[in-house]
Amino acid sequence: MKIGNQAINNEAFVCVQCHYCRICPAYSVLKWESVSPRGRMYLLRGIIKGEIEPDSRVVEDFYRCTTCGACEAVCQTSIPLIEVWERARSEFVNAGIAPLPVHRKLKEVAEKNGNPYGEKREERAKWAQKYQFKNDAGILFFAGCTASYRMMELAKSTVEILMKAGVDFTYAGEDEHCCGSPFLRTGQRDIAYWFFRKNLEEWKKRGVKTIVTTCSGCYRTIGKDYPEIAEELGYEWNLKVIHTVHLIWELIESGKLGFERSYEAVTFHDPCHLGRHMKVYQLPRRILEKMGYQIVEMEHTMENSLCCGAGGGVKSQFKDLALQIGKKRINEAIKTGSGMVVSACPFCKLHLIHAAEKKIEVRDIVELVNERAKPLNTD
Amino acid sequence: MIEGIPFRDDLLERYLCSHDISTPPLLKRFFKIADVVFQPEKEEDVLRILKLAEEKRIPVVPRGAATSGYGGVIPVKGGFVLDFTRMDRFEVDEDQKILVSEPGAVWWDIEKELNRKGLSLRVYPTSALSSTVGGWIAQNGYGVGSLAFGSIAENVLRLRVADFRGVREAQNIHLYAGLEGTTGIITKAWIKLREFEEMKAYAFHVSPEKAVSLAYSSGHHSALFLDRNYIKMKNEVFDDRIPERDTLVIVTGDKMDGDETLGQEIWESRFYPMKIKRLGPGIVPAEVIIPCENLPEYLHRISKYSAGSEVWFIRKNICSVLSFLPWDERKISYAFKLKFSFKALKIAKKLGGKSYSSGLYLSRESENILENYQELLRFKKEIDPDNLLNPMKVFPSGMISKIIRIAEVFS
Ligand SMILES: Cc1cc2nc3c(=O)[nH]c(=O)nc-3n(C[C@H](O)[C@H](O)[C@H](O)COP(=O)(O)OP(=O)(O)OC[C@H]3O[C@@H](n4cnc5c(N)ncnc54)[C@H](O)[C@@H]3O)c2cc1C
Repeated sequence: MKIGNQAINNEAFVCVQCHYCRICPAYSVLKWESVSPRGRMYLLRGIIKGEIEPDSRVVEDFYRCTTCGACEAVCQTSIPLIEVWERARSEFVNAGIAPLPVHRKLKEVAEKNGNPYGEKREERAKWAQKYQFKNDAGILFFAGCTASYRMMELAKSTVEILMKAGVDFTYAGEDEHCCGSPFLRTGQRDIAYWFFRKNLEEWKKRGVKTIVTTCSGCYRTIGKDYPEIAEELGYEWNLKVIHTVHLIWELIESGKLGFERSYEAVTFHDPCHLGRHMKVYQLPRRILEKMGYQIVEMEHTMENSLCCGAGGGVKSQFKDLALQIGKKRINEAIKTGSGMVVSACPFCKLHLIHAAEKKIEVRDIVELVNERAKPLNTD
Repeated sequence: MIEGIPFRDDLLERYLCSHDISTPPLLKRFFKIADVVFQPEKEEDVLRILKLAEEKRIPVVPRGAATSGYGGVIPVKGGFVLDFTRMDRFEVDEDQKILVSEPGAVWWDIEKELNRKGLSLRVYPTSALSSTVGGWIAQNGYGVGSLAFGSIAENVLRLRVADFRGVREAQNIHLYAGLEGTTGIITKAWIKLREFEEMKAYAFHVSPEKAVSLAYSSGHHSALFLDRNYIKMKNEVFDDRIPERDTLVIVTGDKMDGDETLGQEIWESRFYPMKIKRLGPGIVPAEVIIPCENLPEYLHRISKYSAGSEVWFIRKNICSVLSFLPWDERKISYAFKLKFSFKALKIAKKLGGKSYSSGLYLSRESENILENYQELLRFKKEIDPDNLLNPMKVFPSGMISKIIRIAEVFS
């Protein structure tokens, strides 16, 4: 197999093989070199040098990675590893030895329905029936697939916060498509490009200037991948993309949102897509503090935070692995002695609830904000 | 394979567990890869694997984190690779200040736990974020704390070692430290600790001569000297702009008048000595031990190769010098650039120094590195007559050491 991507061809030789990336959540559960980031780098190097020909087994271990980026944070030679993993997966797809069966299925399902959950397109906006949205507001709320079909309370909470604070915004409803994140992460770029075109078309139609999303995966995809895809495909890109925590903070700062204070101790789980991928660490903590919460940090936090275990296609293809990683994270949260772990991503919440087995309460920051928000001055 | 012991025998895992951090051009074609990778979970597993290896006359190659660069973990003749990832338990005797550790425990995991108990490691390698107890003892080396406490071997009280005859507890550490598993597999180690002490790092822009006298001026914990070439390379890859001058960093509990901010900045990057690999991508390394009084001369003589050097001062007036020459390892010229490693070693030997380690590539240097080499050779033959314990390492045999010898002559 030939690897065409130039970045991979260089970075594979930049890797020292120092194994600082042993902190990889998948490797720390499975313990085999083939699952470790350095093992994956050595494999890429071996492929480039013609020493090894990848087969289905090889590809499988390459996908035992949540693309959380913990490896990137400790890398001796600052290799942009997340990019390398995603691009390599796409090379494997192009070579016909990937994706893995479940990932392939997700694509088929998403092609039909516009979401990877296999839910009906016409039910995408069911959660939003009771709300009235403004047209031509300039700001668009992008709910994403998980909040639309699985964690509807997060979509609802976001909408209610914005309404309480008097923010005019629009929502694409059934015209919203999956952002493409699961497909970019698993190397199936073509369908992600298709979703990019569909979404962009809708946003243009609605005169959108700013996109706000509560999903960290969508935030990373629309905020970081879309501008790159736009450039690659020759589209103009001038949209501002923010996570809901940005908007909440802005509303607090401008005096439009206040809170009934709580004095509970909570711990915050940094979603990988919000933290390491997009470098947003402080904002959610500041918001929680504003609400009066006392934050007790877990052993691994912020840049060194432990992944929930769900990302990168791991939850769909390797359920056990995802659950084991999730349980590690939950144990860290329990060890803080606080009764609640708060996150800022529907996909993290979905998975952490599963891993928590009711041993600790799992909430999303938008739920807490919505429950405690007092509109102050909405002029 | 052996009931109850995790193993893998697929091509991928075998391929990935058959190298270390070195990138030997051309030589690799002479290496086999592991036949099976075992991950023993307890000492008894190690004994069972050894038994099978003896029965079938299969080489056994222990593997820690594979962060060494002398070929020690390479299964040159194939065989069983014993990866100690799952044997990583450790205990701390707080009263006696002793660490009792399995071989796969990682130094920095231990240090974090020790700090919580008000204790600290006396010495650790700058690869501590990943390297293992068994690996560093078997490699024997110097690192952080070696100015005050010497080599890791000097801080090991006792070892448990497995070989074909069973397990024994040994206090004669020199039979195993630096022997890279050729005389037995370390299954447990008792290591001396110290009380945790708050220390500060101070930087001084001084010549190598002055660095030597400052490093030994008082009972400091660690002293690290970076030559300006190395700082220049670091600046190229790190974002910071460290003044491009020869710089000594002293880490001590005493108060000193050096630059604390710069000292701290350099000290914090101590785990990242190979970041400059990005410049190649690739590095040609040269690592030697020399008497401190000859450090200035050594640095002067290797300066024409434009390498960057990092020097760690060690107890008893010796120092380890690690020099890197960035070079694209994909180019054919990389093989010729390796000349630098041989030249540096030659210069060091002329100045009363020696190679830092032996492993596979420099097994011919073992006689100079290990004080009682002949005794060790006899011991090796006695406990491993069939040469199955990490063959071709430390005790030269086979083609590789001959090829290296020829390369050395041509350099
Ligand atoms: C970034 C970086 C910094 C470094 N800094 C230092 C430093 O400061 N000082 C220093 O000395 N070295 C340093 N090194 C080299 C290397 O890290 C050390 O030699 C290290 O401690 C080796 O540990 P390991 O667990 O990686 O062992 P490995 O490389 O896996 O093994 C080393 C040798 O020991 C043998 N071995 C492993 N486990 C056992 C066992 N249980 N029983 C018997 N034999 C065994 C192996 O077969 C091999 O021959 C550095 C390397 C890197 C990449």
